[in-house]
Amino acid sequence: MTAVSTTLAIVLTFSVLAALAAILLRDVLNAIIAFAAFSFGIAVAWILLAAPDVALTEAAVGAGITTVLFLVTIAKTVRPSGERLLETVEWRSVAIVVLLVGSLLATVRSLPAVGAADAPVATSRITEYYLQNAYPETGVENVVTAVLAAYRGFDTLGEATVVIAAGVAVLLVLRQEAYV
Amino acid sequence: MSQSNPDRTYVESTIIMTTVRVVVPFVFTFGLFVMFHGAESAGGGFQGGVLVAAAVLLLAFAFGIESARAWLEGPLVKTSIAVGGATFAFVGLGALLGGGAFLEYEAYGFGTYGVKYGIELVELAIGAVVSGVLISLFFSLASGDFQASVPADSNGGANAENGGVNAENGGVNAENGGVNAENGGVNAENGAGSDANGDGRDPAVSATGTDTAVGAAGGEEA
Repeated sequence: MTAVSTTLAIVLTFSVLAALAAILLRDVLNAIIAFAAFSFGIAVAWILLAAPDVALTEAAVGAGITTVLFLVTIAKTVRPSGERLLETVEWRSVAIVVLLVGSLLATVRSLPAVGAADAPVATSRITEYYLQNAYPETGVENVVTAVLAAYRGFDTLGEATVVIAAGVAVLLVLRQEAYV
Repeated sequence: MSQSNPDRTYVESTIIMTTVRVVVPFVFTFGLFVMFHGAESAGGGFQGGVLVAAAVLLLAFAFGIESARAWLEGPLVKTSIAVGGATFAFVGLGALLGGGAFLEYEAYGFGTYGVKYGIELVELAIGAVVSGVLISLFFSLASGDFQASVPADSNGGANAENGGVNAENGGVNAENGGVNAENGGVNAENGAGSDANGDGRDPAVSATGTDTAVGAAGGEEA
């Protein structure tokens, strides 16, 4: 095992434990903190997998803003009474989760190894085209940005429109004319 | 009630305020860097916009959500959402005028530089949209009592109808109002003229809201 894969194994174990804590903790505040820890672990995993753009998104959105929005939302609810730390486990839910996780894990065997030279994404003609032409055609060094804003700019305009539409819809539902 | 929910109230903490005052300029600058520099390094409009919003949220947590809201009141945030979306669309439409396809940056006739600066303008537009939406989402979620926008005279009627819920909210507001009054003094020291203006009005508004809420709650309990 190389240093990177050892670190990745540690980080993923941490993420799985944080996810279990987020599911099992009875107090929602504790669950939100565990969920933020899970997002942080996943962000580190993205860095180890050499995907800094995704890592930045995961850290800022998953561990940062989402946690804050959850916190201001549960501030309006009441904490559960009693001293019990963990939620009671519903075995039907466990069965569904095991089924879903099992079927996803079954596909892992058919994935190429991380960084394998013969992985379909590495040998694809499209990947080759972007790597060859992104800089000469756009003058942008970050190929991810070149693809997002130039080659797939129309998709990104759609994404921005979705953000605007979702924001306006939520603000209308919450009826805060005082602010927006 | 409020003893069992200590996490609801805003607590003025010198440590948090000082830390936030030191950290926020760096978070904000880093957000702008990620937005502007998305073409050369990891990042882009979405990530940078979230970071800029996070800087504002930090301020709101440290100095009180109501003070931050008063500071940001006005058309700035919603204008940034609209201007961001329109900028992106007009960058695309402008290429049509230049004889190219929609969003074909080459049509602006500046070669590769045109493409690069077109992309950066688009990233900034996305950043404005994302940060604006997240900031307004935060404030509308955090404000809690959804009567905030209702005029004072119809407020009493609304409170009487769902008195049970408002009784809890009223308690929270009372504590918030007191904290904000102190906070106004802190902000005034900072020398932000608009803050003093907004804060001068805000405690008065929340005080009247609290009064009616408490009154309605009292009636309900009796």
